Amino acid sequence: MENTYIEKIQIRKKNKLAALYPSTKMLVVVLYSLCTFVIGTIKITKYDLPLMLIPWYLVILIICYTSGALHKSKNALNVILGLSLFILVAQAFLVPGGALIWKFGFLKMYQKGLATGISLAFMIMDVGGIFVWLFQTTENKEIASALEASGMNHKISYIFISSLQMIDVLGKNSKTIMNAQKARGIETEGNLIVRAKAFFPALVPLILGAVIGSEERVLTLEARGFACKGPKTHIFKLQKSGCEPRVKVIAIIVTVFIIGGRIALWIL
Amino acid sequence: MENKKHSMKDDFTMLALLIIPVGVAINFVGAQIAAVLKLPIYMDSIGTIFSAMLCGPFVGAVAGGLTNIVTGITMPVNFAFMPVNIVIGLLTGFLSRKNMFAIWWKSIVSVLLIAFVTIAVSSPIVVLVYGGVTGSTTSIITATIMAAGANIWTAVIGTEGVFTLIDKVVAYVISLLVIKVIPPRTLIKFGCGEHFIQEK
Repeated sequence: MENTYIEKIQIRKKNKLAALYPSTKMLVVVLYSLCTFVIGTIKITKYDLPLMLIPWYLVILIICYTSGALHKSKNALNVILGLSLFILVAQAFLVPGGALIWKFGFLKMYQKGLATGISLAFMIMDVGGIFVWLFQTTENKEIASALEASGMNHKISYIFISSLQMIDVLGKNSKTIMNAQKARGIETEGNLIVRAKAFFPALVPLILGAVIGSEERVLTLEARGFACKGPKTHIFKLQKSGCEPRVKVIAIIVTVFIIGGRIALWIL
Repeated sequence: MENKKHSMKDDFTMLALLIIPVGVAINFVGAQIAAVLKLPIYMDSIGTIFSAMLCGPFVGAVAGGLTNIVTGITMPVNFAFMPVNIVIGLLTGFLSRKNMFAIWWKSIVSVLLIAFVTIAVSSPIVVLVYGGVTGSTTSIITATIMAAGANIWTAVIGTEGVFTLIDKVVAYVISLLVIKVIPPRTLIKFGCGEHFIQEK
């Protein structure tokens, strides 16, 4: 069959996990985050460290790998990893309290600092990681479409999509404007004050252009019946992968299991 | 025009709806340009302040909240700072509606108020969620002060305070510069635009 335009803009994924319906993915994200907080309360070793958060992170890697998105999400995961390490080190050496664990010159590591550091760093890594999975396996078009299907106003999903596109457009414009201003002799390198002064001529034309542009877009949209009341038609159709009930059941079972385990540890 | 009643629905005109994506993108690109120029401030609320000044509190709040959702897609750490941007949008919008940006001394009071409220909302998030250190340029200073033995709250509020104030003043000046050059025939279409039209 000839590839028509309508056929071209549909999203078809081979991977069953990546093709899950966005609301099912959202449920997984919420349950995973809940489990992270529950696991964070489990303290092991003689220093009371919430070390169970570290193996819990493996779950993200497994989910990303089975969805075939490990390569795509590597960058975002690395950024979070760097941030978490920074927080871990800063907390471990800065917060005093509890027993002295390790000492090197003026650097002192206390039990309380290490415990807060590990708990904060890995909670951010876990919760941040699952969001990375959600957004790396789901296209923005799918999220907007699912939002609209769940009864949200079409204006809201338009704003969402439009924001993402606008970032690209303004990003490109800002480069053009920066180059133009440089050509006119505005310095963008040098000491702090010189660089700060370059900030204004870079941004003011950018914002002004965008505002004038949106005035014209109002006419364009209204001419195409954006403000009309009544049902809207869509060219893009969101598809379910067929695994939704299974994934939901698994996610709920795992959560119940973890919360049950936590309660059992308290009682025992 | 004095006793104009404001309902939330009136705020969201077609033009206001289209200003929201612009505000989000300005927040994003502003932070990018600040990073390119290696400035030690975030500059991630210009769009929020700009759209709130023009279109009122609710549009500003939506632009602010949406910024953190959109940037959160690539950097989930930003989700935690969503309340900060929403509060900035609401506050700036209400101030603009009360015409608090008309005279120079009123503007100074407003900007100080915005900076103060921003610190009041953001410091608890920095301390409770990230333990005082968020990985930005300012957190190195915070960490140094903490290492010198200061209380975590003093360290965070002290450093964030200085940078937030600069941040908000610059954001306000940029928004005002832009609004001053928007022609009156466009300004009148915005919810709070009439306050910025100068009589000749």
